[in-house]
Amino acid sequence: MEHYSSHSPIGIAQRDDDAVATTIVRLENVFKIYGAGETEVQALADVSLTVEQGEYCAIMGASGSGKSTAMNIIGCLDRPTKGHYYLDGVDVANLNDTELAHIRNRKIGFVFQQFHLLPQSTALENVMLPMVYAGISTSERRDRATEALQRVGLGNRLNNQPNQLSGGQQQRVAIARAIVNQPVLLLADEPTGALDSKTTQEVLEIFGELNASGITIVMVTHEPDVARKTQRIVWFKDGQVIHSHLTPSDINRVATS
Amino acid sequence: MDILESVKMASKTLLANKLRSTLTMLGIIIGNASVIAMVGIGEGAQRFVSGQFESLGTNVLFIVPGNRDAQRTTVDLPRTLVLEDAEAIATQVPTVAAVAPQLHSRELVTYRNRNTYSLMVGTNPDFSIVRSFDTERGRFITDLDVKRNNQVVTLGVDLAERLFGNQDPIGQQIRIRNVSFLVIGVMEAKGSVLGTNYDDSAYIPITTMASRIIGKNSPYGVNLTFISVSAQNEASVDAAQFQITNLLRLRHKITREDDFSVESQKDVLEIAGTVTGALTIMLAAIAGISLLVGGIGVMNIMLVSVTERTQEIGLRKAIGATQDDVLIQFLIEAVILSAAGGLLGTALGVGGVLLIGAFTPFQAGVSPIAIALAVGVSGGIGIIFGVVPARRAAQLDPIVALRSA
Repeated sequence: MEHYSSHSPIGIAQRDDDAVATTIVRLENVFKIYGAGETEVQALADVSLTVEQGEYCAIMGASGSGKSTAMNIIGCLDRPTKGHYYLDGVDVANLNDTELAHIRNRKIGFVFQQFHLLPQSTALENVMLPMVYAGISTSERRDRATEALQRVGLGNRLNNQPNQLSGGQQQRVAIARAIVNQPVLLLADEPTGALDSKTTQEVLEIFGELNASGITIVMVTHEPDVARKTQRIVWFKDGQVIHSHLTPSDINRVATS
Repeated sequence: MDILESVKMASKTLLANKLRSTLTMLGIIIGNASVIAMVGIGEGAQRFVSGQFESLGTNVLFIVPGNRDAQRTTVDLPRTLVLEDAEAIATQVPTVAAVAPQLHSRELVTYRNRNTYSLMVGTNPDFSIVRSFDTERGRFITDLDVKRNNQVVTLGVDLAERLFGNQDPIGQQIRIRNVSFLVIGVMEAKGSVLGTNYDDSAYIPITTMASRIIGKNSPYGVNLTFISVSAQNEASVDAAQFQITNLLRLRHKITREDDFSVESQKDVLEIAGTVTGALTIMLAAIAGISLLVGGIGVMNIMLVSVTERTQEIGLRKAIGATQDDVLIQFLIEAVILSAAGGLLGTALGVGGVLLIGAFTPFQAGVSPIAIALAVGVSGGIGIIFGVVPARRAAQLDPIVALRSA
C-alpha cells in the first residue's frame, strides 16, 4: 500500500503543487435517482457544488431535502447516478468499491452522530484503526494516534474504552480518528446530534481549531446554532441546492421562509 | 491490511466474547473428539481382532462344514465333515504338520457337589500343537487315549479352579454328562479367542466324546464341529489349502458346490477386517456428521455476529476497509473458531482414546492421519461455513450499515 509523501503536520491537508486555494469538492450536475419507472425518486436533481480548501461549511435542509444523499456522495459512500464528482481533483464518480474504500481511507475523515467507536477497543486503538487499513506500521500508528488524541485534548485518556468516556469525549476520539490519516476533507454528519449543549460547544471548538489549522470541513446539521459557527451554509431543498453561499447571519431569514 | 493484522483483530473480537466463542467451538470440539475417538476405537477393535487371529498361529487352516456362500443362498447343505476326513487329511496331505479334529458340545460337568456347564472339546493330541496350547500341570490327551477311548480329561485353568478351588485336580474323578472321567492335566492360561473361552473348557479324546458323550450323529461317521490344521510352514499354507480342498471334494464326491470351506487365517482376517473396517467407517461417518453440525453452528453464530456488528462493519468500511478486508476478517474469525475447536477436540479425542485403551482390551490407536484430517477438515469447515457470513458482512452497504441502530 502506498504511503503519504507529504510530511505536513497532522490534519493539514496541504497540497504541494499549488499555492492558491484548491477546490476540494466539486459536484457537477449530479443526479441521484432511487428506484425506476413509477416509483422513481430523485434524491438529488442536478446538484452542482464546490467546496474550496480550508472552508468550513454546513449543509442544512429539512428531512428528505437530499442533504444526507449529498453527504454520502461527497463521502464516497455512494456514487451519483449521473454527473461528475471531483474530490481533490480526481473524478471519483465511476470508481469501483475497492477504489472508493481507498479514497475514503486516505482523503476523507468521517465523524458520525453516533460516534461509532469500537466498544472493546481503547481510544488509542480506535484512532489507530484507519491506519490499519492504510497499511501503516504499528509504531507509526501509535505515534500518530497519540498525537491526534492530544490534539483533541484527550492525551490523558489513551487507554480508556469508550464506555469510560463521556459523550463529548467519545466524539473527540471519533474526531481524532477522522483526522489521523491526514484527510483532505473532514465530513461530519450531525456531529452534535447526540450531545448536550455544553459538549456541543466543546466539539464545535475543536472543529473551529481544526479549520483554523487548515482542515476543510463539511458538516451536515439541522441545528441553526451549530451552523452559525461555520463560515458558509449550503441549503438543500427537494434534492436541489437552493442557497450555496449563505452566511451564518442569513440563517434566520432562510430558516423561517 | 495483512493477514497477521486480521488474525490479531479476529482474536481480539473472539476473546471479547469468550462465552460465545467457547460455546461455538464446542460443536467443533465434540465433532473432532468423536472423529478421533471413533476412528481410534475402530482401529483398536481391528487390532484386537487381528491379534486374536494371530494368536491362533500364522499357518493355521480351519476346515468348516457347510459352504459359507451357499448357506446364504440355499438351504443348509448336509453337514458331512467327519472324523475320517481329518484322518485322511493327516495321512494324505503332505504339507500339513498337524490335524486336530474338533467336536464341541456344552455339557454338565460335576465334581462332588459342584456342577457347571462348560464347553467340552473332543480332539486329539495335535490340538495342542495346532493351537500352540500346552498343559501347565499333568499331561494332555495322547494318541493312546484316542485309540482306546480313554475316559480322561485335561481341564482348562478356569474350569479346574471352579471345580476344585485350591485342591489339585489331577488324579480326581469328575463326571461329564454323568460319565466318569479321570483328570490327567490342567492347561495353561490361554484366554478367550473369538468368543470361545479356552480356559473354561475341558479337553477329552475325540473318540470318547463321540462314543460316550454325543454318539455318532451323522450317517457318515462322527460329525465334527470343525478341523484345525497347521501347515508345515507359512509358505505351505496355500498349498495345504488347495490340497485339502481337493482331497475333501474327492472324498465327498462333490461335483458342484463344496459342502465345506477351508479358511486360512488370512481369509478369516480379511473377513474380520471387512467387518471392523465397515464398523470404523460407520463410526467415523457418525462422528463426521457431528463435525458437520459443529460447522453449521459456527456458521449460525457468525451470521448472528454479522447482524449484531452491522454498525461496526459500516464504520470499518467508512474509514477505508475494502470488501476483501471485511471478508477476510470474518473468515479468519470463523477459521480461528473452527481450528481452535479442532485442536481442542483432537486433544480431547486423544485423551479419550488413551482412556479407552487403559480400561478395555481395545488398544485403540491414535492415528496421525486421523488427527491431521480432523484438524484440516475443521479448518476447512471454518472456511466453508465462514464464507456465507463473511460475504454477507463484506457486501453490506456502509450507508445502511451505519444507519442501523
